[in-house]
Amino acid sequence: MTSNYHQLTLAEVRPGMVLSDVLLDVQGHVLLPQGTTLTEAMLALMPRHGIAVLPILKEEVSPETAQATLEHHEARIAHLFRKNDPDSDSDWATALLRRFVSDFRLGPQEAAEHE
Amino acid sequence: MSNTLSYDDVVRTLDDLPSLPAVVMELLNSIDQDDVDISVLAKKVSYDQALTAKTLRLANSSLYGLQVKVTTIQQAITYLGFQTTRNLITAAAVTGCFAEGHCPGFDHKAFWRHSIATAACAKVLARQMRFNQDYAFTAGLLHDIGRLVLVSCFPNQYSETIAYRDQHDCYLLDAERTVLGVDHVDAGMALAEHWNFSDTMRLAIGGHHDPEAPGAGFLAAIIHVADAIVHALDLAQAQDDLVPPVSTVAWTALGLDEEIYLQLFRETELQYEEISMVLLS
Repeated sequence: MTSNYHQLTLAEVRPGMVLSDVLLDVQGHVLLPQGTTLTEAMLALMPRHGIAVLPILKEEVSPETAQATLEHHEARIAHLFRKNDPDSDSDWATALLRRFVSDFRLGPQEAAEHE
Repeated sequence: MSNTLSYDDVVRTLDDLPSLPAVVMELLNSIDQDDVDISVLAKKVSYDQALTAKTLRLANSSLYGLQVKVTTIQQAITYLGFQTTRNLITAAAVTGCFAEGHCPGFDHKAFWRHSIATAACAKVLARQMRFNQDYAFTAGLLHDIGRLVLVSCFPNQYSETIAYRDQHDCYLLDAERTVLGVDHVDAGMALAEHWNFSDTMRLAIGGHHDPEAPGAGFLAAIIHVADAIVHALDLAQAQDDLVPPVSTVAWTALGLDEEIYLQLFRETELQYEEISMVLLS
């Protein structure tokens, strides 16, 4: 057991993440042991076993790396949307897509700033 | 301009294109027929080993969540249905059909990354909208196929088009219209005619940049939005990629909220990785 984990919903779990705990199905049968590195195939099978939330080991990411990743994503989104004027009245659908992709890549705390 | 092309120039060159395997043409042409003998077609496909292998790998991917591994085309048809299997065969055939190279500046791999990602995204969108997912997948995969026609038939002119785009940092579509005089939508329509695509598919290819045009159809709106999402998610990983303007009419027609889009982005990324492993290997 480890305290360094978080419960993630199936939609948030990515292949390559590591189970912090043994994973049981609704009947209490062991599906996967603790420490399993999850693959796409495993995740695809989860709904069939009624698994919606998984205990995932937290990755040790230094704040600097996390910040650098965020800045990279932010710059890339700005580059991809360089033809879009966020304040244009006629091009609002593109602006909305940009906001959703930003929320997706940069996390919900950025969303608060947009509003 | 001397090297401006016309629609007829494009049509004239279509015969020089590599043709799809005969059985794939037969599948495409049989799309509206009810009296197709499936077992005969399955047998014909299985003579092409590379095609069969790719099709089965797609069928066994988590995209379809089958509980058993299918090992023959006939089995795939039993579990997935004729429509789905036909679309998988088409996808496997088309991605291997056009030769690489010959056109400086054109990134063949990036082209297919974009097409496969659009197919994946369109399929997820279609499920959300309760629209036919097989149509959406195939239309997504083929929406820019006209670009490959232009690249294969007019490599030098297309190379100039790409240079023009880089110089002006405009949309590739506008560069095509300026330099070539025809765009990939025209070329795609010509090929769709030549390869006997169904009307649904033709409308989607023809309308994916202009889903507001009368009669463009709902599939065109799905492909239009899927295309923009894939550009925005940067799945093709093209350095100077540009998100095209999203039609407000198409966006409104889908009527999805942010929560659904975030879920859809995640699903698209996952499915994209899996399909591209099969189709681009």
